[in-house]
Amino acid sequence: MPSGQPVVETKELTKQYGRFVALDRLTMSVERGQILGFVGPNGAGKTTTIKILVGLARPTSGSARVAGADCVREARKLKRLVGYMPDTFGSYDNMRVGEYLDFFGAAFGIRRKQRARRIDEVLETAGASTYHDLYVEALSHGMKQRVAIARTLLHDPEVLSLDEPANGLDPQARIEMRLLLLDLAERGKTLLVTSHVLPELARICQRVAIITRGKLRAFGTLEEITRQLHPLRPMEILLTNADRIDRVVEVVKKYVEPGAEISPAPAEAVVRFRTAKREEELAGLLTALVAAGVGVTQFREVATDLEEAFMTVARSSESDEQEGELARNASEAEPARSASEGPISPTRQRGGLR
Amino acid sequence: MNPIIRRELLEVLRTRRAVALQLGLALGCALLVLLRWPTGEVADLSGARSMQVLRVFGYGLLAGILLLVPAFPATSLVREKMKGTLALLLNSPMRPWSIYAGKLGGALGFTAVLLTMTLPAAAACYALGGTGGEGGIGALYAVLGIATLQLTTLALLVSSRAQSTDGALRATYALVLVLCVVTLAPHALLRGKTGPLVESASWLRCLSPVPAVMEVLGQGDVGSHGISAGSGVFLRYLFLAAIFSVICAAVTVAGLNHKLFDRARSAGVMTEDRSEAGQFFRRVLFLFFFDPQRRSGSTSAWVNPVMVKEFRSRRFGRSHWTMRLLAASAILSLGLSYIALTGALGWGIEVVGGALVLFQVALLILFAPSLAAGLVSAERESGTWQLLMMTPLSPGTILRGKLLSVAWPLLLLLCATLPGYIVMMTIKPELIHQVRRVVICLGLTAVFAVLLSAAVSTLFRSTAAATTASYLSLLAVCGGPLLVWLGREAPFGHPTVEAVLTIDPVAAALQASATPGFARYELLPANWWIIGSACVALLVILAVRTWQLYRPE
Repeated sequence: MPSGQPVVETKELTKQYGRFVALDRLTMSVERGQILGFVGPNGAGKTTTIKILVGLARPTSGSARVAGADCVREARKLKRLVGYMPDTFGSYDNMRVGEYLDFFGAAFGIRRKQRARRIDEVLETAGASTYHDLYVEALSHGMKQRVAIARTLLHDPEVLSLDEPANGLDPQARIEMRLLLLDLAERGKTLLVTSHVLPELARICQRVAIITRGKLRAFGTLEEITRQLHPLRPMEILLTNADRIDRVVEVVKKYVEPGAEISPAPAEAVVRFRTAKREEELAGLLTALVAAGVGVTQFREVATDLEEAFMTVARSSESDEQEGELARNASEAEPARSASEGPISPTRQRGGLR
Repeated sequence: MNPIIRRELLEVLRTRRAVALQLGLALGCALLVLLRWPTGEVADLSGARSMQVLRVFGYGLLAGILLLVPAFPATSLVREKMKGTLALLLNSPMRPWSIYAGKLGGALGFTAVLLTMTLPAAAACYALGGTGGEGGIGALYAVLGIATLQLTTLALLVSSRAQSTDGALRATYALVLVLCVVTLAPHALLRGKTGPLVESASWLRCLSPVPAVMEVLGQGDVGSHGISAGSGVFLRYLFLAAIFSVICAAVTVAGLNHKLFDRARSAGVMTEDRSEAGQFFRRVLFLFFFDPQRRSGSTSAWVNPVMVKEFRSRRFGRSHWTMRLLAASAILSLGLSYIALTGALGWGIEVVGGALVLFQVALLILFAPSLAAGLVSAERESGTWQLLMMTPLSPGTILRGKLLSVAWPLLLLLCATLPGYIVMMTIKPELIHQVRRVVICLGLTAVFAVLLSAAVSTLFRSTAAATTASYLSLLAVCGGPLLVWLGREAPFGHPTVEAVLTIDPVAAALQASATPGFARYELLPANWWIIGSACVALLVILAVRTWQLYRPE
């Protein structure tokens, strides 16, 4: 598949279990060599999405393609294109790592002569060369995660779906896992990674999908999502002292949009505000502050991280759900009035949020 | 109240399943008594009718206790250990003996409730008359009570040492078999002789509850001849079983400490990485091919990878264990034949043939569920089923590999016991037709046992539950009809016994080998048809369930 074309693509993907909607019209695409971070609270639909993409679950409606294979109609072809690492290791008792990988190699039809070499290669890639003769059940959690990565790589898949690969790892193992995933992406693998460790995910993912209650709430690069979530950039002015903080607030008011939120914090000698102004206009503000004789030590934009973005989306979706619930209750209580006024949208569509 | 008893007894008693079990048991016992309740105007003053009922009732209760009681305590401690809650309990102010008392009390309490549900039926037997005296109902309940204690303490001991729930179940049922049946063998073999060895064998057999129940029910002893059966087994059993239980309890309590969680991980040293002397020693000791520490080669393209995986992931599937088992089976089989050859015991060839059949069936019943009950359930429990689903292996290949991994060891096991039949045919060449029929029966039994356990395995997500259900189903089919056979003169008539035995593959094998007590029933070829049809039905269930589980959600 040529570079630049989506390797993973979903369209209106929906999965229902009875009346429960686990996944609601998910549409997204990921290009070759990218790492997509799947973020969401427990039960949000991350694992359901991954399971559909690897062929372990069937969507109720919509479509999904991975590396050109349809996830429903070409399930057999899909197995050779995707490597799946579930959140549980899945070990067999009394087996050594070499035997364990040999079984999966044989199951994928790798020829006997190539298999031994391939096992050494994937163990080397996963940083687990020394585990070959160890019993699988005797491995620590971090070691098992490495062996699981090796197992996932064994048949050289184009796409890797990793469910919580950093779960339960110590800080050093987490850093090593991060480097390993970046290395795999550099080798041209496309990775779908779910994780609750958001700072880790933010450091490796080119794209992030935030999903709550089965709905894709935000999708894109972290920068794009942040911009979508907060059209007004958070700024911070650090002063030498708080003596002239009121003067600073006055100057800032003249430059920013009317009614913009300005928060002076005298105790910290800081003034915080949000604005949509461009860099040139903000440079004018700084000049004005200096001209007014204010001692400015720092004038900067506050970076929004993935955790903050996630919390914003989570809160927003929660309030949407509550509003939707209230609206449903109201429509049930007053069906006649609702009918005359038209349907009430269960979710509020905001700019930037899906 | 001990919080463990509260959790493990009171909460279990509140479940619908427990209520259904109690009601079912009470109704079953009532039905049994109703069958023999006097309806005519003439009363049975000898009490023979009530004794007939009491015998079936007593053996039924004993069978129930032997089969059901070990299952719950066998998984009790090991499950807590695996979930990590045993570490929490040991870290609480509760002392080890208090934890043990809770576990023991929970298991004994539930069995006591079930036994209480049978009391009205026992009282009805008493009301019929003739069940008092030495072989009375009180003595029967005393034996059953102490047997419950004995088996529960044994199961808890195994559970405290086991590393997995299904492993604990297998080991417990194997030990129950040894305790209840194998302990009877030395006394039976040494019958007619005198000396300290015979006296020891006589005491050894009193570890089993079976002779005690037989004595209480006025049926002498296992394999006894006329009035030569020894007496006093009842009291000996109470004494020995109590000591046995105390020892088991003491060993278990002594082991309930932090050392359970303080085990070094295996370094995984391979024979190839040892010194030359070390390599030489191990290669001689394990005859090279059977060395468990030898680095295994890649799976060949010609064999089913699932079958190889199954062999490698089983402790007893590894070649060194398989070879040990085969050797032991061959030796035992030849030993039985030697007994027949020398005629040292005065046993006929038919009795030895029957013993051989029972030995093989015991091996089948013990090994088939232990190998097959985890075929699918273990994969689902450990999360490896979805890894299998992610491979290009078809459900048919997976199923074939799994069934082959059970079929091969069982086939080898059966073959290892065949030399006994060869010796018998050498002694009596006209037995060839009979041996052929027995081998067909045993082959069908093996296929049936494997398919039943494998089908049950697809119905459960927990291996322990699947193993228990497999053992119980298999024992119900193979052992249940034998309870009816025990009442063959009364209360059950010849046609009833024959009809019930027709579904039992063990009875068919015993009839084919002309074992005394079974020779007069016509069970073949009807039994082959029934078991064959059951095998086909089980195979269909197995295939459908595997396909269902393999499908995406």
